[in-house]
Amino acid sequence: MQRETRIAHYVAVCLAALSLVLLSLPLSSPVRAFKACAAYVFDPLPYEGEQGYQRIALAPERVRALLTADVQNRRLQDALRGDAWLKATAQSLAAENDRLRADLGLKTPSALHPLWAHVMERDPLRWYSSFSVDAGADLGVTLNDAVLGRSSDTVVAVGRVVDVRPREATVLLLTDERSAVAAYLSSGTLEGLVQGQSQNQGLLLMSYINSEARIVPGDTVYTSPTSVTFPPDVLIGRVAAVNPRDPFLASQSVEISPASNAAALQEVLILRARAPIGRKFAPAEPVAISSAPATSEAER
Amino acid sequence: MNAMRATLLLAAAMLLQWWWSTHLAYWGAAPQFLFALTILIAARRGPVPAMLIGWMWGLYSDVLRADMFGADALLYMLAGYVAGQFRRQVDLEATGPLAAAVFLLSWAYLLLRGALGSIFAKSFLWAGWIPALATPVLSALAAAVAAEFWDSRGLR
Repeated sequence: MQRETRIAHYVAVCLAALSLVLLSLPLSSPVRAFKACAAYVFDPLPYEGEQGYQRIALAPERVRALLTADVQNRRLQDALRGDAWLKATAQSLAAENDRLRADLGLKTPSALHPLWAHVMERDPLRWYSSFSVDAGADLGVTLNDAVLGRSSDTVVAVGRVVDVRPREATVLLLTDERSAVAAYLSSGTLEGLVQGQSQNQGLLLMSYINSEARIVPGDTVYTSPTSVTFPPDVLIGRVAAVNPRDPFLASQSVEISPASNAAALQEVLILRARAPIGRKFAPAEPVAISSAPATSEAER
Repeated sequence: MNAMRATLLLAAAMLLQWWWSTHLAYWGAAPQFLFALTILIAARRGPVPAMLIGWMWGLYSDVLRADMFGADALLYMLAGYVAGQFRRQVDLEATGPLAAAVFLLSWAYLLLRGALGSIFAKSFLWAGWIPALATPVLSALAAAVAAEFWDSRGLR
């Protein structure tokens, strides 16, 4: 009995010391990480949704980031599967559209080849007039290619290419007085011509609008299907003010606040008219734009 | 009891503890099977095996809780030690005294765990009144059932 008691004392002291060492070490965090990983490996489904985030809230940050990334990855894969179906549907619709156009004898729209380019230089003296981009003839950019930008989640009209060099190009902005683009107002689909202004370079002027039309500030302005440069239905801006009517003119004009902020643009989308030869970058899918140039305009 | 059978019983107890705590714990109250079994082993087999098994089960419990790693290992081991020493003064072979010992040691466990929290986690780790009141009773019941099972299987 004495021997058993003595052994019990020794074991108790040893195990107590070991336990105190374990208590002193910062082991809770690694244990939580191990638990979170092991639980996730065996049963990842409970980690979906809000409850899942609560379950891994106590895990260390890197483990949390790892598990969250895997959850997001699986969600994105699901979304990609949905996108593949949407793409197949779009291709089917495009094929049907082509067939119907052929049956009706309509002109087949030309396919444009989009290319993202970076804004690389702005001239302070011509801030609202033009900028240079890092894509040129080597990437298939040609004169008068349309240039679009992004404002929030919307693609907006920016300008057109006016000078092409081997590795760069100059984009003339819509706010330059030499720019002009056929456009229509969202209310009543009234057509007009949007031009830059030398007096007020922050705003555009939309003229040749029917004098009887009632225009409300805030109306949106889109590129017209009659535009030679731009594809139709691309956002240009919103009506900022309606100019007083001139009784001697048969039309009226409005001031347009452009949707694209030229000073904030860092990337632009160039819609190349021709397929590039000897591509250097991964090409994007050609985009079929149903522009139907029927009337002339003063764009070029 | 051969080694394989003992290992299976130890693992089954761990599995039972996890399953009950995960699925059948209400308001945080669940019997501490491993704690009760540690005291049962101390009563039937002596303090040394109870301390060794209790320390291992304590580590497992620490992994399940993951708030203060090492605390349960220390307290389970101490429970085995105390029960092993007490068995000379009290007849822990009988179910009633065993259940009473588990009840009292469960309370001591809760208080000591809180005290360890104030040392190592900088706050008294209080389980809450419902678990504190219910868990010792449930653990005592679990110890009584386990003791009956032990006797009925002739493990004595």
